[in-house]
Amino acid sequence: MDAKVIKEEQIGRSVPRMEGAAKVTGRAEYIHNIRLPGVLHGKMFRSRIAHGRIVSIDTSAARAVAGVHSVVTGEDIQRLIAEPYYGPAFHDQPVLALHKVRYVGEPVAVVLATDPHVAEYAAGLITAQYEELPAVFNEVEAATSPIHVHDELKPAITFPDLKHLKGKRGTNIALDYKLRRGDVEAQFASAAHVFEHEFHTQHIMHTPFEPFVALAEPMDDSITIHTSTQMPAYVRLEIARLLGWPENKVKVRTAWLGGGFGAKVYVKIEPMVVALALLARRPVKMSLTMEEQFYVIGKHATTFRIKSAVTADGRISARKCEVFWNGGAYADIGPRVSQKSGFTSTGPYRIEHAQIDSAEIYTNLPPAGAFRGFGIPQLVWAYESHTDIIARALNIDPLEFRRRNILREGDEHPTGTAMRDAEFEEVLVRISARMGWDQPFDRGTGTKRRGRGIAIGVKASIAPTTSFALVNVSADGSAVLFCNTIDMGQGSNTSMAQLVAQVLGTSSERVRVTQADTDVTPFDMGTLGSRSMFHMGHAVRLAAEHAREQLEALCAETGIEYQDEHSIAQAFRKKFGMQAGNIFGVGHYTSRYQPADHDTGMSKEITPFWMIGGTGIELEVDTETGHVTILRMVNVVDAGRAVNPRVVDTQISGAALMQMGATLSEEMVFNEGELTNPSLAFYKIPGMRDMPVAIENEALEAETRSGPFGAKGVGESGTFGVSPAIANAIDDAIGVRLYSLPLTPEAIYRGICAARGEPLVD
Amino acid sequence: MTVANRTIAFTLNGAPVSAAIGTHHTLLEVVRDTFGLNGARESCGQGLCGCCTLIVNGQSVSGCLYLAAFADGTDVRTVESMAVEGKLSSLQQAFIECGAFQCGFCTSGFLLMSEQLLAQNPNPSEAEIRNYLSGNLCRCATYPEVIRAVRLAASRPQER
Amino acid sequence: MTPFELLEPQTLPEALALLSDDDAGIRPIGGGTALMLMMKAAVLAPTRLVSLRGLQGTLGSIAMTADGALHLGGLASLSALEHSALVAQHAPVITRAMTHLSNVRVRNVATVGGALAHADPHMDLPPVLAALDARVQIAGPLGTRELTIDELISGYYETALKRNEIITGVQIPASAGRAAGRCAAYLKCTTRAADDWPALGVAVSFLYSNRTISDARVVIGAATDRPTRARAAEALLSQSMGDATTLQKAGDALAAEVQFTTDAQGSAAYKRQLARVHLGRAVNAALAQT
Ligand SMILES: Cc1cc2nc3c(=O)[nH]c(=O)nc-3n(C[C@H](O)[C@H](O)[C@H](O)COP(=O)(O)OP(=O)(O)OC[C@H]3O[C@@H](n4cnc5c(N)ncnc54)[C@H](O)[C@@H]3O)c2cc1C
Ligand code: FES
Ligand code: FES
Repeated sequence: MDAKVIKEEQIGRSVPRMEGAAKVTGRAEYIHNIRLPGVLHGKMFRSRIAHGRIVSIDTSAARAVAGVHSVVTGEDIQRLIAEPYYGPAFHDQPVLALHKVRYVGEPVAVVLATDPHVAEYAAGLITAQYEELPAVFNEVEAATSPIHVHDELKPAITFPDLKHLKGKRGTNIALDYKLRRGDVEAQFASAAHVFEHEFHTQHIMHTPFEPFVALAEPMDDSITIHTSTQMPAYVRLEIARLLGWPENKVKVRTAWLGGGFGAKVYVKIEPMVVALALLARRPVKMSLTMEEQFYVIGKHATTFRIKSAVTADGRISARKCEVFWNGGAYADIGPRVSQKSGFTSTGPYRIEHAQIDSAEIYTNLPPAGAFRGFGIPQLVWAYESHTDIIARALNIDPLEFRRRNILREGDEHPTGTAMRDAEFEEVLVRISARMGWDQPFDRGTGTKRRGRGIAIGVKASIAPTTSFALVNVSADGSAVLFCNTIDMGQGSNTSMAQLVAQVLGTSSERVRVTQADTDVTPFDMGTLGSRSMFHMGHAVRLAAEHAREQLEALCAETGIEYQDEHSIAQAFRKKFGMQAGNIFGVGHYTSRYQPADHDTGMSKEITPFWMIGGTGIELEVDTETGHVTILRMVNVVDAGRAVNPRVVDTQISGAALMQMGATLSEEMVFNEGELTNPSLAFYKIPGMRDMPVAIENEALEAETRSGPFGAKGVGESGTFGVSPAIANAIDDAIGVRLYSLPLTPEAIYRGICAARGEPLVD
Repeated sequence: MTVANRTIAFTLNGAPVSAAIGTHHTLLEVVRDTFGLNGARESCGQGLCGCCTLIVNGQSVSGCLYLAAFADGTDVRTVESMAVEGKLSSLQQAFIECGAFQCGFCTSGFLLMSEQLLAQNPNPSEAEIRNYLSGNLCRCATYPEVIRAVRLAASRPQER
Repeated sequence: MTPFELLEPQTLPEALALLSDDDAGIRPIGGGTALMLMMKAAVLAPTRLVSLRGLQGTLGSIAMTADGALHLGGLASLSALEHSALVAQHAPVITRAMTHLSNVRVRNVATVGGALAHADPHMDLPPVLAALDARVQIAGPLGTRELTIDELISGYYETALKRNEIITGVQIPASAGRAAGRCAAYLKCTTRAADDWPALGVAVSFLYSNRTISDARVVIGAATDRPTRARAAEALLSQSMGDATTLQKAGDALAAEVQFTTDAQGSAAYKRQLARVHLGRAVNAALAQT
């Protein structure tokens, strides 16, 4: 890249989104828009019990409804797929419930009809008889409960650290990550101070505004799946595995995604639509409602027990973390969440003695998987609340306490991986500078009390993973990038085009990015965990460099000086006598990674890069009601070099505001396993009037030397610090410490009453 | 299950149209499935998010809660009417310039509602924008950018 | 949703004739915003809907009556209320309440009749109208009758309406109007997001002269099964100056006299506290209008 001619710097340019016009005119394509002749619509009948054996399913009334094509149950699916179980970590999830149901809302049967209203009506006529079994809902209870969600564990071959769970019976533990470094117990015995707390987070849902939708179209000897997925290549792989087909007979394509946030990773409703379409021999479309989304996937509720030893001079010498992840009835990608995030449970601090036990636990609740932050927000919530409590107890300024303990360049993370290009301290410095942390602060009066808080978190990337990219340069010098990174709103198409243009020396506007179609777009592990800018970014860079080498050769051959798209076009014309031909550049990238040792959980190279995000909050508490007004929210992240600063800014604020919802209001409320609020009317996400009075975001001027053009992922970093920063600010304002999310006005008011010694009695 | 069929006639983005509908169909379904206008879309299905916003006789409604039968004889507009002969309206332009969308699923609704707001209040304050748009949700939380875009469009009234 | 018969009468007598007191499958539909939610959730599958929209011309008006009452047509939309100069003048508390009631699109469609007949205890309009001593006008096959809000809304999602009756309008008597010297305020308190169903609604109205409150009406919504008057609080407020001590006492009285319910918006104990403090805030908001 170095000495090559670059007309205009494309990296660092706020190129307007390529799909802007399509999105503001309503013409952008989403999978929802697809209408196919002869398509059947599927509507589900779901379990109303949390755990039980299926005795019988009565579909006769549904079948009798005029206009119903067919009604399909798990046994019908089994006629097509003998082992109809899927899942990235465990092959535990049946396409439709087989023999047993394991959560309220689990799909049990599907009605197919040309008219979706008919299908819906008929689905309402299905009944099922169950032999009810005792159920278990709480993650800590389930860890040792005699009630088992699965009779036998069936790990998929994908992950070596799950191998030892194969065939295990009598447990709900779907992953047991351990880190053992030094001797925490000895430290606890001798330390000047020991602190121990337990924190909780609640179940929440991504609620992408485009609910899950997929359409399967059987062809002569293949199948096309149009689906709103973050992982087309994985969908292809998993469907091919289920059907026993070669991958090339499965075509998966996407359009713009109406949000994903981790909900649409791996496979979700695709196995169902595929099986239904093959059984019916007709295209089948399933569009879930917002309500149904809540039964597909959510974010883990957690219990986190954390204990720290602190020296007399305020240094954390040991930390012990015990994290229980409520994985729900099917593992989905939960075991990865509890491992990949689990190993960061001690936080961004230099801690010589560390012990982590992070366990993914099956319960009789809807499955939990990846959710913007991949488990990190739950952990930061606990360790940054805990850290703040310690600082306040020791009378050390919370910022100073963090700076005293923060990991610095070259320091060893408790896992044994050295810190590189990880600007923890700078993030703290920028937050505190923006907040005027050392300035006097108006603490309010009377019933309106003000406080401020900060928090910082760290995340490792998902590794090892692989991305492939293909750049096709046409004879006029314009280029098309074929890549499976899915633009679900994060602006990746625009940023990826910028990378191509930067290498080719053209303008970003001359590069188009195709929507994923596994027939033509090459393999990519998936769009999740902020991995794309790093992994796909490298693959795209390499593909573009490969194209550039060939273009330079073409120019040399035709005696034209390589400059920009015009010289490229000239060279093509000269070589082929007309505007004809293509040049293909290919590239791929696999991140370096050394698996964690099974016994110690340690590794010298546990992640290719670190993501860092912190938040500062100023807020006001109404001490008579517990209502909180966020006056100011300052989000600072280390995103390496910002390829498109405006896109980065929107990512930071979008992530932070989403996490604000998870902090203050969002909660899936269960009653004996039954979700009581599966709708936006009762599951409250933030709206305009919930926004902080002021919000400011900053991406540090940093560089990830290992990243493409110094960049790294940024989709999640804005979430990390939000929850504990808010809780810390509440404590600062009114001296009330909360240990469970969400921080509702009632929870805060109850805290106020309890602190006064007059608990609110019901 | 018999489908009670009836025919409705209305103006859609300026053109007279008619459609065979069931009484239980929403106007959103008809606009999408009969006329292939995909800018309005169902998300919450409960009147809360505004993704399905349609303009009926000059007033915004949630298409997901509006019976198609009620549109008989009315004037219906969708986001597709905002750009005239391919030229984006100043609001649409401002949304692009301010990056006032991420996934775009909610964008049609925000645009139509913002258009209504500016028609009633050509120079709204931030608080007025927040109040008026409080019935539109964006899961990508592009709220700060939307507020900026509305103010930008308001500052260029001549183009509206 | 499943198909149903949709009838669109153009006159009140026609509409009344199409309803039936015996058939739970037949319903009038105003804006349909509440009905659609129930039908989409399949908790309601009517066989026949009688649309009242054809009556909008006659029953949609907002006007002053000869005796100085403010008349709100049963088919008037909530946004018509919001933008009505008459409402702003006579009962500005309604105008202000609208900005936090649901959202623009729903208000454009939802009707006064629907907002009263639905009888979800969380609705904002009933307590406001109750505090304004409003009379609900009802037409049925045998003629018309008038009920207070207290009489109309008899319980949790229950009204005194017969299945073949239609709310034709609401009257706010002259004595409850701004011109009569009444101040009023409604505070909506949400607990999960700014825009939500209220955990508590407090409507107050009173006469204010010589810096003294009299004839106070306090109505609690959302935190109770149905809009509930708080008479002990009213008694304390009346003849007071609305000073901090009185407000606190009235708040305590309110907390003690009203039966609060626990629901998704909060526990009864918490709502009691919300009511205690919001009464005073509502009175102050009303006083701020003077
Ligand atoms: C997204 C959303 C948010 C909301 N938020 C709020 C809120 O914050 N506060 C609030 O108070 N409300 C809120 N609502 C409720 C809203 O106010 C009601 O849906 C609306 O007022 C009902 O009016 P409608 O004309 O649409 O009634 P419809 O849906 O037509 O009817 C409702 C009921 O009333 C009956 N009915 C209708 N008209 C008459 C009549 N004239 N005579 C007799 N019976 C009649 C119907 O048979 C039905 O039982 C919200 C609704 C939605 C969809
Ligand atoms: S889909 Fe209609 S308002 Fe959300
Ligand atoms: S841009 Fe995604 S929901 Fe608004």
